[in-house]
Parts: sequence; structure tokens; C-alpha cells
Amino acid sequence: MRTMGALVKRNVKLFFKDKGMFFTSLITPVILLVLYATFLGNVFRDSFQMNIPETVKLSEELIDGLVGGQLISSILAVSCVTVAFCSNFLMVQDRVNGSIKDLRMSPVKASFLAAGYYVSTLISTLIICFVATGICLLYVAAVGWYMSLSDVLLLMLDVVLLVLFGTALSSIINFFLSTQGQISAVGTIISSGYGFICGAYMPISSFAEGLQKVISFLPGTYGTALIRNHAMQGALAQMELQGVSGQLVESLKDALDCNLYFFGEQVSVGGMYLILGGTVTVLISVYILMNGLKKKQ
Amino acid sequence: MVDIIQIKDLNKSFGDIHAVQNLSFCVKEGDLFAFLGVNGAGKSTTIHILCGQLQKDSGSVIIDGADIEHCPDDIKCKLGVVFQNSVLDAALCVQDNLQSRAALYGLTGPAFDQRLTELSKLLGFEDLLKRPVGKLSGGQRRRIDIARALIHKPRILILDEPTTGLDPQTRKILWNVIADLRKNEKMTVFLTTHYMEEAAEADYIVILDSGKISAEGTPLELKNKYTADYIMLYGVDEAAVKLLNVEYEQVRDAYRLTVPNTAKATELIVKHPEVFVDYEITKGKMDDVFLNVTGKKLEGGAGK
Repeated sequence: MRTMGALVKRNVKLFFKDKGMFFTSLITPVILLVLYATFLGNVFRDSFQMNIPETVKLSEELIDGLVGGQLISSILAVSCVTVAFCSNFLMVQDRVNGSIKDLRMSPVKASFLAAGYYVSTLISTLIICFVATGICLLYVAAVGWYMSLSDVLLLMLDVVLLVLFGTALSSIINFFLSTQGQISAVGTIISSGYGFICGAYMPISSFAEGLQKVISFLPGTYGTALIRNHAMQGALAQMELQGVSGQLVESLKDALDCNLYFFGEQVSVGGMYLILGGTVTVLISVYILMNGLKKKQ
Repeated sequence: MVDIIQIKDLNKSFGDIHAVQNLSFCVKEGDLFAFLGVNGAGKSTTIHILCGQLQKDSGSVIIDGADIEHCPDDIKCKLGVVFQNSVLDAALCVQDNLQSRAALYGLTGPAFDQRLTELSKLLGFEDLLKRPVGKLSGGQRRRIDIARALIHKPRILILDEPTTGLDPQTRKILWNVIADLRKNEKMTVFLTTHYMEEAAEADYIVILDSGKISAEGTPLELKNKYTADYIMLYGVDEAAVKLLNVEYEQVRDAYRLTVPNTAKATELIVKHPEVFVDYEITKGKMDDVFLNVTGKKLEGGAGK
């Protein structure tokens, strides 16, 4: 246990000391912030107001709370995965700079080292994502707070699950990487691409139908939807209380990716948890299996 | 003395390249063993197999009575390795580096603190403990590499070109430490180096060429077998040297005569006492041994 503790401490320290890797992991959330601050926030705000009947008067705070919920859910959904990838690049860095040779000289098994990378990535990513969650909640509180305590707790659970998912996925992909060039390539693809496919930049509902179907096969999508639900359902419920029809609220949920459909069938929140939890279990099992089957040259 | 490393019929190929071919040799406990060869001769492959980092194709590797195939973890506890390039974490401080590596051997808490104190005194890095490894000079970093290799008190220290690129003073410090370890802790040292004068200090030498042993023995045996003796002759003119009828060359203030061995040198001196008034006899150097055995010159030592 102490050995694992020391290994995890080493990995976590290395991640936070490597400023390049640390800031790379925050590129996508920063892009999102800039996009919302410059125009995306206004686009969504105008879009909500246009869709609300003129007979219903919603407060500015409620609209801001909804847009804020959308912003923070996008940031958190992306961060949980991109930060995990960047943090987990340490396993590749160790191969590139030869540190892994030194670690493997010790009597600990390769699978133990692999578990060390997983746990340390999990911890580093959770630290960053929980700090980000705290900042996001403070932002929502400033613009318009409609979340209940259970929403906050479930949001935390969503973050943990999505971090587990991001860590497991990055562990499997990084397992095959061994050069600095590959790190850069995968880092760039994940940082720029994941924001699109998880619907952080634009809602999945605005994509073409074929693309929506493809994306419905990606388990991370359901993690994003969970975060969206728990970040925005308070504001949406308040809308209903202020006179917006249930039908309109449902169509807003569709547009905001709170509701996800798998070949026309709506996936319940419980179903989303099952999909994400099941995927995490499968990915971790695959990672363990890969390490178990890995042979020396 | 017991053979602490026994390698028999070791083979390893990478595709069509036979990196190691039917390699067999032993290393005696407490010896300084030199493993020489040009780059690509198979030294690193053999070391990686010894350390359990590479799978052998065939043959056996027994270390301290245990087979590397059956007890790799036990063997890893007995080995300390100083790699050619530092493999410590540049961003972490010396203490953090050593702490994380020590924990891999179950060395934590007060036991680690005590070992760290011992090693920092032995290698003189007490004032470097809080410095990041990446900010250390080459010599300082090498001392930390050696401390890492010794952190778990191994019985065998593998040094893969440990002094390449170091200044003479740092090299001397490192060799003094290694000499102390051999003397006080009976540590076996397995050395690869490009500096032939370091190899000349070894108890036993194996020269590897294209994955095979091309020569082995003590430095004296190798010098006797693969090099000539030299007589430096002072205070004579060339005409007298010519009369000796041996190969010679003029060097500053002297003539250097080449004779097949010491017996021939003695014979020559006895036969011409009037010429040999001021002279010295020297054996050939390890550089000559290496050149004569492999036909190749080791890169790195020449610049020294």
C-alpha cells in the first residue's frame, strides 16, 4: 500500500510540475470560456428568449442561470476527459525519457505500475475537475442559482464517473503510444475533437441525424447528458413554474442534450448511469487484460 | 570465490539480427567485471536480459543461484543499475526521486531516511537533496544515479558506461566510492565502459563482438596474448637501436622498441647490456588489446 502511495505521489507531483502538460489539459475548457464570453452565450440566450412565448415573462436571472448551466456542463464534460488524457500522458513520457526502465528494474510488477498510472491520473484529474466544479458552481451562483443540493451531489457523481471514464479510455489509448510525436498528435486530437463530439461547442441535437446516431454509440455522450441534466434541471423546472408549458420545456431539454435518444428511444437518466458505469467497468477490465497479456520482447 | 552471475548459451535475436549468440561467461562474487564491445556488440541486450527487461530466446541466466526465468523479482532486488543516461525524474527533487524509487523495494519511513543519510554522506550530496534533478550538473546527477542504484543495498551493481562525459575529478570520486563499496560490502560490479584504463582495473574482462565473445581473461592475460611489450630506451643514438634489429619508433627523448613479450625483452637486454643503460619495459595497453581483438577502436576513450 505504501509502495502504491509513493508511486501515485510521484506521478501526481510530476503532472502538476509539468506546466506544459497541465496547461495543455486546460486548453479546451479555456476555449469554451472564450467562446461563451464572446458570442456563444449570447447566441444561446437569444435562442431561449425567441422560443419562449411572448405571454410568458422570464426573469433575466433565470435565462442567465440556464445559459450558465449550459456553460458549466460543457466545461466539466470536456475537462473530465481532456485533463485525464493529458495527465495520463505521463505513462508515455516515462517511456520516452526512459524512466520506465528504472521503474521496471524494481521488483514491482508491470500491472502494479499500470495501476499506479491509473490511480494517479484519477487523482490528478479529480483534483482539477473538483476545483473546476467549485469555480463553476460559484459562477452559477453569481448569475442565477436554481440547483438543489441533490443536483449538486449528482453533478459531483457525474464528474467522478466521467473522470473514471476518461482515465480508463486514456489508459487504453496511451498504452499504445511511445513517442513524443504521438503524445502531441493524440493530445491535439483529443483537446480539439472531444469538445465537438460530446456536444460542448454545439448541442448534439443540432448535428445531422446520421452524426447524431453515430454519437449515440459513444458512451461519453451520456456522461455529458448527465452533467447537463443536473446542471440545468433546476432552471428548467423553474421555467415550468413561471408558466412555460411542459411540452416546451421538454423540447428545450431535447435541444440542450438533456434528453438523449438511441435510435428514437429516449434514454432515461438511470439508463445513462448504467451505460457510463458499464463502460467504465469494461474499459478498466480491458486495460487490466492488456497489461496482463503484455509480454516482454 | 562463488560465481554470482552464470550465463550459459545465451541467445537473443531481433528479427534477422542476432544480437547475442551462444554467450557463456561467469562473474565471480566481489569482482570488478568489465564487459567491453563497440556499440551494437550486444552488451546492452545482455544487460537488459540480466535485469529481466528483455526475454531471452534460449540459454540460461543464473544470478546468485536463482534463475532469471523463475525468480525475476528476487533477482531484481539483488541488482542495482546505473544506466547510460540518467533515468530519474528531472522535475522532482533528489529526495523525492530516491523516495519514490526506494518505496518500490518496500523501503519507506525511517528505514528510507536512514539509507538516504548513509548514501548522501557516502556520495556527498547532502546539500543537493532539495534540488530538482534536472538542475544538477552532469557529475552531481551521476552521483544521484548511483545512489538510486544503491538505495536497496544490491549485491550486484551494473554500471552501463557510468563515467561517459564526466570530468576527471568526478570520475575519480565515483571510482573511489565504487572501490569502497567493493571493499566494505563485497559488492560485485559489472561494468561496461569505453574508457580502457577503467577496464584495465577489472578483475576479469569479456570482449564482445557481433554478439559473440571474441576474447576473455584478466587484463594481464589479455595483454600478454593480444599485445606486445614495449621498451622505452633513453640516451642512445639511432645507430645503436638499429643494431638491435627490432621494430622501433622514435618518440621524444627516446626510442620505443616493440618486442613480442617480456621474455624476449629480457633476452634482448641481456644480449646488449651496453645499449640498455637507461630504459623501462611496459605492457601493451587495453586499447591495443581491444583493437587487436576486434579490429575496431572504441569510441569515447580516445578523447580522454
